[in-house]
Amino acid sequence: MLKLDHLSCGYGAVEAVRDVTLDVPAGSIFALLGPNGAGKTSTIMAVMGHVDIHGGRILLDGKDITRRRAVDRVDLGIAVVPEGRQLFSDLTVDENLTVGGYAHPHMRDAAKRERVFSYFPRLAERRSQLSGSLSGGEQQMLAIGRALMAEPRLLLVDELSLGLMPKMVDLCLGALMQLKRDGITIVLVEQNTERALDVADNVCVMSSGVQIYQGTGSEAKAAGSLFATFLGMNQPGRS
Amino acid sequence: MYYIDLAVTGVSFGCMYAMMSVGLTLVYGLLRILHVAHAAVFALGAYVVVLVANATGSIALGFLAAVIVTPLFGIAIYRLLYEPLLRYRPDVPMIASVGLLVLMQDAFRIMFGEQGVTFRQNALSFTTFDFHGVTISAVQIALIVTAAVVFAGLHLFTTRTRTGLGWRATVSRPKIAASFGVDPVKVRYLNFAIGSALAAVAGGLVALLNNLVDPSIGFVVSYKALAIIVLGGLGSVRGTLVASLVLGLVEAYGTIFIGAWLDRDAIAFLALIVLLMIRPQGFTGARTA
Repeated sequence: MLKLDHLSCGYGAVEAVRDVTLDVPAGSIFALLGPNGAGKTSTIMAVMGHVDIHGGRILLDGKDITRRRAVDRVDLGIAVVPEGRQLFSDLTVDENLTVGGYAHPHMRDAAKRERVFSYFPRLAERRSQLSGSLSGGEQQMLAIGRALMAEPRLLLVDELSLGLMPKMVDLCLGALMQLKRDGITIVLVEQNTERALDVADNVCVMSSGVQIYQGTGSEAKAAGSLFATFLGMNQPGRS
Repeated sequence: MYYIDLAVTGVSFGCMYAMMSVGLTLVYGLLRILHVAHAAVFALGAYVVVLVANATGSIALGFLAAVIVTPLFGIAIYRLLYEPLLRYRPDVPMIASVGLLVLMQDAFRIMFGEQGVTFRQNALSFTTFDFHGVTISAVQIALIVTAAVVFAGLHLFTTRTRTGLGWRATVSRPKIAASFGVDPVKVRYLNFAIGSALAAVAGGLVALLNNLVDPSIGFVVSYKALAIIVLGGLGSVRGTLVASLVLGLVEAYGTIFIGAWLDRDAIAFLALIVLLMIRPQGFTGARTA
């Protein structure tokens, strides 16, 4: 569904990602792993149109979207759960969801909201609270809910587990599994390798801006000890 | 009764400062530019009101013309002056803004004369009402009522409409808002249009109050507005409202206590300096620039 074809991108002249080629099959969860500064977030932001493309192409369903304006990409069915949630913190929960559905005004708004609340009943209790006052877990739920309001076919999730309690990580990963069953394709950026491998169908490992491993989830799991040696990052408890 | 008179004066001036300053703080919140030329928009609004009112005999038409002309002018400032300079450091567009302000002031001077323009008919300016000994002028009532309507409207717009929510979302997280389909360029246009219209209304009301529009009308107000938005916590509409009212009241009461030694504007700036020394982060303190 999503293809990156020899993509190089970065900020100004600084190259953050070099020559990455990926193929994310429709209806799957694709995990993008690697240590800090590996270029995972830059890759996601390139798909959202927020970094400078130095070379290569981004294809969605075979269509070249490399040069599309960021503001038009939501119409293609792409939504993001950004690193650090990046909620509109002085807007309420309900208002955040409204902005999430900005591209499709009034279209099934109530039904979409109900769907978000069915995934995350906690949000329904907090509807009129400022999103900046929510707990970390609630903020992550809202970030996912906000993205769902855009009715995405492709959901980009950046650092889902960062700073969350294990129980909250379970809940959010559970929601992603459910979304996958509903037919949504998911790209999941994670530093928590073990948790990502639990749900991923395909895996790509990046380091210093280049891809260093690619395979299916089960292959990667089998190679778990290998990961440990060259990434040193799947110790339990490390986020 | 004298003290209540002063309160009315203070609140009405505060309302004027608020309408003037809100556009400044909104531009700062969105683009991190000190939009000094906002004072020229304020002056332009005043000129449009007085010129159209004198030409047509209707002050209402003057205000209507002002709220049509100044938003377009504000958008033009963004599009032609700021947008090309956005990729440079924020002091570059600020210097350009100062340049535009000076240019506009001289243009007003050359076109409409040093001594300014007065209203041919300005019944409002001389109408006063007496409420049990408290004297209120029609323009003061107009200032307070207009500001109340404007800020209530702005509140409803930014909390109840999709466009208004998109605007606030963009101020909060421009990139993420764009990713959900809120066009950042349209938000900037909207921002300049609304801020400019409010400044023009404030300028027109000051013109009515003084029964005069001269080239320097925006000058002192602009200094005060810059201090107000800092005191209000740059980017915060609520903080700007509070700071405006505080300044209006301090000015009004200050004149009776130390008015013999200091001019009204000097009192205002003295108060602003003291307040900024006590609370450099502004009243709200939530946002640091």
